Amino acid sequence: MATTTASITINSDITSNPITITKEMVMHKFQSNIGIEETTGLQAKKFAATTAVVIVENTEGTAAKASKVYIRNTGSSTENFFYVALNASAAAAATTETIGRLYGGDWMLFPWAATAATSHDITVAPNTDEAMTLEFMVFQE
Amino acid sequence: MATTTAKLNISSADLTPGMALNIDPPAMTMYQTGTTTGLELLDMGAGKLTQATGADALAEALGTADTTNYVYICNKSTDIQQYIKIGIHDTLIGHLGSEEWLFIPWNMGDAVAEINIEAEDSGTIPYEYAIFKSTFTLPAKT
Repeated sequence: MATTTASITINSDITSNPITITKEMVMHKFQSNIGIEETTGLQAKKFAATTAVVIVENTEGTAAKASKVYIRNTGSSTENFFYVALNASAAAAATTETIGRLYGGDWMLFPWAATAATSHDITVAPNTDEAMTLEFMVFQE
Repeated sequence: MATTTAKLNISSADLTPGMALNIDPPAMTMYQTGTTTGLELLDMGAGKLTQATGADALAEALGTADTTNYVYICNKSTDIQQYIKIGIHDTLIGHLGSEEWLFIPWNMGDAVAEINIEAEDSGTIPYEYAIFKSTFTLPAKT
């Protein structure tokens, strides 16, 4: 059994009393104490067009399980970003269902149900044709 | 101006045998949409979610559509049978297992792009959340 841990630390002074959120998790299989044992490996892909692209197909996970997905925009721009969405072919502002915008330096880590349909492909679309690079990794069940 | 950062580390000595994994990017700073001005709006809390037949909205898309916001949610249950279904409107994103967390951007793509949560498969699940926002509109008085 493999052991994979992910930790997050959020610091903010939005409120008058600064907050810190610190949490570590072990990536387990669905309803289990057994660690996730498979991965796509860390991948990097360079984009230079606004065309939407599927980076993870639903077949790379299992429906109703507990895969996890890490995605990071490796750039530094605060103006250019990737839309990240769950759907077949598009990732625009209000497309069903866009999750959010990933600006330069931004990352995300989320559980992925990988429902066996293209509606659960993970799709990205840059907002610019300037070169941007995305790195991503799926921890599969 | 407020400063909000999020630091991630993912590590494993044995997921990929012979090649230890250590993803350790620099901390990201959360800015307002398309700017270098830090976010200044925060919705943070904790609750208990009881298994039911449908999902509840953790956060409605009550701000300017298609903006920069970030969501942290943690399932505080220690019972491995208990998980939280996380979705945006009608789309299931994934199952957040016991003692697991997620961190995602959320663009509030339209007025019905709410973040919803649903406890499974039985009992009551404690959870924590924090939503860092670019914009927010208070709901109308009833």
